[in-house]
Amino acid sequence: MTATGPTGLDELIAFAGDMIGDEADAWDRAGTIPDDVVRKFAAQGVLCAQVPARYGGLGLTSADNGELTAFVGSRCSSLRSLMTSQGMAAWTIQRLGDKPQRTAHLPRLAGGEVAAVAFSEPGAGSDLSAMATTIEPDGDSVVVTGEKVWITAACYADLLVVFGRYGSQAAAVVVPASAPGVTVERVPEPLGCRAAGHAFVRLDGVRVPAADVLGGGQSTALLVTAALAYGRISVAWGCAGILRSCLASVSGHARRREQFGKPLAEHQLVARHVAELLAAERIATRMCAHASQCWDMRSPEMVSATVLAKYVSSRHAVAGAAAAVQVLASAGARNSHPVARAYRDAKLMEIIEGSTEICELMLAEHALGAFA
Amino acid sequence: MTTTEVIADRIAQFLKERTRISWEPDADIFDSGVVSSLFATELVVFLEEAFDIEIGGRDLRLDNFRTVTLMTGLVQRLREAGDE
Repeated sequence: MTATGPTGLDELIAFAGDMIGDEADAWDRAGTIPDDVVRKFAAQGVLCAQVPARYGGLGLTSADNGELTAFVGSRCSSLRSLMTSQGMAAWTIQRLGDKPQRTAHLPRLAGGEVAAVAFSEPGAGSDLSAMATTIEPDGDSVVVTGEKVWITAACYADLLVVFGRYGSQAAAVVVPASAPGVTVERVPEPLGCRAAGHAFVRLDGVRVPAADVLGGGQSTALLVTAALAYGRISVAWGCAGILRSCLASVSGHARRREQFGKPLAEHQLVARHVAELLAAERIATRMCAHASQCWDMRSPEMVSATVLAKYVSSRHAVAGAAAAVQVLASAGARNSHPVARAYRDAKLMEIIEGSTEICELMLAEHALGAFA
Repeated sequence: MTTTEVIADRIAQFLKERTRISWEPDADIFDSGVVSSLFATELVVFLEEAFDIEIGGRDLRLDNFRTVTLMTGLVQRLREAGDE
């Protein structure tokens, strides 16, 4: 399916650049990405570019997929969020599924269908062990019942990978969004990533084949940590992209805009913002590149390096985007301007896939184990 | 050393490197409070890479990773399955 489409990193970046064009501001204002754009990205396998070629995917390394993610993130964090969700759905199937399940589902995700992953619930945010959604066996089926909130990409999704209680433990299950009993309701006016299709998802006795239960019988912590790893590295690279976008906007503006008879760049307090943004972008990129190298080498360090990259990149993106709005001032204060979007989008990145505080707890625990 | 001992030794060595504790073969590393779910995930990646196995689906249970003996058993079972 991808034989005629772009396959290498440069080609994929060119494809993404052509498809996004100058539309990201308009998508943000509309709160939606046109369906044909989402479908074209999905059909090319770009939304989950790390799916191995044997399952019909582009088979990118984590490093290349990271650069692709950062590029899309530099243009449109909403579309990048769809990559994060779809990639995480694919990773969950690859990680928790057995071979027949991978063979059944991964080619669909790599070949045009859109997927979302449903973790959060009204009573289960950072504490996912409090999930109340149930996956109950009933003959050859399972019955899924529960309420999920803030599910990124759900408005576009054909498939939902739903996490829930499975007996005394936890499991994930692949649920078609069109299955009877599934209700998807758009989150009105999210703070950031406004076109990422966040939704409340209700599952009212949804019956799916028992063969579509991924894993099953695991502890929630292990299941969720494994699945979230992809989401975290994807968000981290997306934040590197946000910083690249801010750096470009700030550099251009500081060169062109004159006040007090000289370009902003020649005012030292502005020059400091430029320097700090450059440092932030480089730090985020290096953290992400290291984590991706750990993924590609299958090093056990990939787990902690990924949390670290997500933590560092999202915090730098929040600070960098705020500085970018400060430098552009009224020029960047128009809603949906790239730096205004960056400012709103970056803040959400400090919240999803493990908030800054949850990352800090994990990193402290890691440090206490590794360096005691 | 037998194959079982070699595997157990390699696992114990990794645990010691990462936790600074020498683990008895049947000591439950998760009951100890010393290790986190993050570390559990690290263990999965370590076992896959060190022993050229794939741990997916229902094998990804915490109970398979509680002790050196249990991990050794998992590795041997998946290696045998891979040889079939």
